[in-house]
Amino acid sequence: MANQVSKLAYVDSKLGVGLPGQQTTRVIYDSVNSVAGQQFYEFFTNFAGKNEFQTNLTTNKLDSAESMVIKSIQIIMSSATSNLADHSNLNITVGNQVVVKDFDPSFNASNRGLAFDRLHSGFNSANNLELRLLTDIVIPPQVNFKATLQLGNALIAAGDDITIIFKGYGRIFSAGNSF
Amino acid sequence: MGMSAQQKMLHVADRLGLTTLKDMQGSTRMVYDSITTVAATHTLFKGASQRAFPLTNVGANGNQFQVDEALLVEKIGFFVPTLVDGIAYTSTAGGALSVKFDLVIGNKTVIKDATCEVGGEQAFFNDGTVASSVIDLEGVGILIPPQVEYYVVAKAFDGPSRVSVSTRLGCYLFGTGALLNFNTTI
Repeated sequence: MANQVSKLAYVDSKLGVGLPGQQTTRVIYDSVNSVAGQQFYEFFTNFAGKNEFQTNLTTNKLDSAESMVIKSIQIIMSSATSNLADHSNLNITVGNQVVVKDFDPSFNASNRGLAFDRLHSGFNSANNLELRLLTDIVIPPQVNFKATLQLGNALIAAGDDITIIFKGYGRIFSAGNSF
Repeated sequence: MGMSAQQKMLHVADRLGLTTLKDMQGSTRMVYDSITTVAATHTLFKGASQRAFPLTNVGANGNQFQVDEALLVEKIGFFVPTLVDGIAYTSTAGGALSVKFDLVIGNKTVIKDATCEVGGEQAFFNDGTVASSVIDLEGVGILIPPQVEYYVVAKAFDGPSRVSVSTRLGCYLFGTGALLNFNTTI
């Protein structure tokens, strides 16, 4: 089985991305502000008016010499009423291709004895969950990506924040030369 | 055994003549279904296309994956919908429920008379301090190939007293998946 480093190098090479770049740990995130009762939200598509803690991207693609492997996905909700413990539906699209399809992350929320996996016992939350992927997902350079989340309940209030965070191994631009 | 989940998927696909599965998008996948009518025996996933989210996430394809999509089941969990709408749910362990179940793929029963015991897997499962309602499949897992019907027949019972319990019930199948990816222009 390919590890994260070789998988990223393999996919990048298939796509003709030749630059070596600086290997790194990459975290990207986007936060959206909720509308009362709205159950469907889209992430990594609109960055206008967000501060640096709401998103660390300015466009829904990585730079030309940057790419990453998604190893885990964290979802955080500021609302106490519309928690992530009820059924939900997560989709992630890279380019035109759905790479995570109709996934219900809610089983990793709270502590009900239903988690897919959890590394430690101390922390559990109905509003903050993390999901480790069994197959690494590559986001190549200059390819659009987005995530959508459909909530099962309609309890969300106006002005709550929902944040989706992709974590993993990545490559950032390194010229390897002095300019 | 030394075989990864991805390798097993490709091996089984090859044996079944699914020559293009290796070109599909690898993913992490889970499907779930829940029945909110109280009963002692539930047949989950069968007829799931008639149910809508959040009762299930299988969509219009129901209890079979579309062409070149598959799921290598690595974990099976059981839960109890709180209300008829199926939005919220609890674990079976909260009510001391265990579940006896069969997993059927095509015409073949691939897990027979197994139980997901309340509080089982104590040495292996970590979800806060709560007892497990999940069973890990031994070996690498079991592959549900594309376009083959699958379902779970489940009977809830009280773990300590071993008597049948009528309840609402849901089930998820979690593991490594493949999603359709056209590697050509159509």
